[in-house]
Amino acid sequence: MTNIIRILALAGVLALALMLAVVAGDFGPWYFAWLVGTTMIVLISTAGAVLFETQHASRDMIDEQSAPTEI
Amino acid sequence: MINPTVVDLSRLQFALTALYHFLFVPLTLGMTFILAAMETVYVITGKQIYKDMTQFWGKLFGINFAIGVATGLTMEFEFGTNWSMYSHFVGDVFGTPLAIEGLMAFFMESTFVGLMFFGWGRLSRGAHLAVTFLVALGSNLSALWILIANGFMQDPVGASFDPKTMRMQFRSFGALVFSPDAQAKFVHTTLAGFVTGAMFVMGVSAYYLLRKQHREFAARSFRMAALFGIISSLAVVTLGDALGRLDFLVQPTKLAAMEGIWHTSKPPYAPWKIFAIPDDKTQKDLFNVSIPYVLTPLVAHDFTSPIPGVDALEHSARAKVIKGIKAVVALKAYGATRNPAALAAFRANESDMGYGFLAQRYAPDQDLSKITVQNLPSIVQKAARDTIPNVFVEFWSFRLMVLLGFVFVVVFAFCAYYSLRNELEKHPLLLKAAAWAIPLPVLACEFGWITAENGRQPWTVFGWLPTFQSASSHDVGYMVFSLVGFAFLYSLFIAAELYLMFKFARLGPVQHITPTSHAPAFVQPVFGQPGFTDKSWANKSWQ
Repeated sequence: MTNIIRILALAGVLALALMLAVVAGDFGPWYFAWLVGTTMIVLISTAGAVLFETQHASRDMIDEQSAPTEI
Repeated sequence: MINPTVVDLSRLQFALTALYHFLFVPLTLGMTFILAAMETVYVITGKQIYKDMTQFWGKLFGINFAIGVATGLTMEFEFGTNWSMYSHFVGDVFGTPLAIEGLMAFFMESTFVGLMFFGWGRLSRGAHLAVTFLVALGSNLSALWILIANGFMQDPVGASFDPKTMRMQFRSFGALVFSPDAQAKFVHTTLAGFVTGAMFVMGVSAYYLLRKQHREFAARSFRMAALFGIISSLAVVTLGDALGRLDFLVQPTKLAAMEGIWHTSKPPYAPWKIFAIPDDKTQKDLFNVSIPYVLTPLVAHDFTSPIPGVDALEHSARAKVIKGIKAVVALKAYGATRNPAALAAFRANESDMGYGFLAQRYAPDQDLSKITVQNLPSIVQKAARDTIPNVFVEFWSFRLMVLLGFVFVVVFAFCAYYSLRNELEKHPLLLKAAAWAIPLPVLACEFGWITAENGRQPWTVFGWLPTFQSASSHDVGYMVFSLVGFAFLYSLFIAAELYLMFKFARLGPVQHITPTSHAPAFVQPVFGQPGFTDKSWANKSWQ
């Protein structure tokens, strides 16, 4: 039941977003650009952080592998 | 009689309060979305350090937000106290976006700011993230409605003048909201805020990296801010171009002043001035360095449209002033007698009514009915000359803004590049540049507003209502007293902001960082009720 409500809520958000996009695209192209652009800026910034973690993890792994092992 | 000194003092007071207020606004606009981005990473990865980042930068945002709100509130009252003629003339139109801003966006922003600060540990991770995004949306929606109101002042669409009520009446809400000027200005202004926020986070992080403090925290913050900033700064430049083209179409006097174009030249010759010393009195450049054939495609986006110079604009304004005088005289007659002939005479010249108001300043006793055939030419000439804003101020405020805009693109590009390569600490000069660049976006925003509002002169509502006619009829003493009071009070606000910002930025995020700070934290679930298995959040002091 919770999943159905969640899906319905997300479908509602999707419909609202599509409606907003159509109206904004028709009447306010720069508003539409702002909506898409701001989302993109946030996502790219977020992706940069995720990439940082990946770079960090691989560097740690290389450090571990190159560390001398005791026999 | 309108006292020009009172008008000038009213202008100075509004300019002062607006410029003070806008020292805080851009940081709020940008920081909210940066916080949302940081918290998104926390929710996705579950790493505690991103929660610490959101909370630390959130604290600095909170200081700025509180003081910014305090400085903004007085400005809305100024419309009533100092600009009562303006408020009467366009209150029906102008008041609508301001009311929506107060009711919808500002309340939304304020409500969710409380939840954002005090909701940690009380809301699930997903719910808290939604709250942070709503704060960002709310603060930017506040800016939207203010800029829609400002868009009306620059390009008055969606309203028309009613001679019965003697003021502008609302005709189309849609036209007001979707005004091209409002749209482009909203995106340009909010993106300038994003640049300010990104530069702030990046600069403070650079300071930590230079001092080898909080390196894990600072490197991540720097990376996110640099990427946030590079795209925002490129977008700001794009929107700047859009606004320039709009000015060419709607406010040619502003464009002529911005580019220092004294004479109209045959397209596509119009030169783009890299450097000039414009002299408003003689309407010439004392010195200039310019590149021909650049301005036409740059502004008009073609090679055939002439870019009107000050000479042509002043010449065309003369005919408008004569028609405007007829419109205002007919309007006055209609107001007194309700005579249909007077209404018809007004309607015939209505589109230039504002230019008649402009001439009133130079009419004997400021009464247009006292204009004679003898004094008409000199009044028309003076009023037509008034239609050109101060070119020196406009030219240089615009150029400094643009120069800074391109500097930001370069700084962010290098910072993003070396951050992505994890080589920031090998380039201390770049880190120093990033730290010293913190106040520059705020300066650029201030230059941007000077360009926009000085370029709108001599109008409060472009083409309809001159600034000279818009002020309240206070005495000089009252204006000087309130001006000094505002300057003192706002300077205190700035001193408080700087003190608190420096204090908390220097302290750094030390109390937020634990030895396992970049390990995943599973304190709060993404959805549902927060978990209370780990009470470490309760022992931290976020205040």
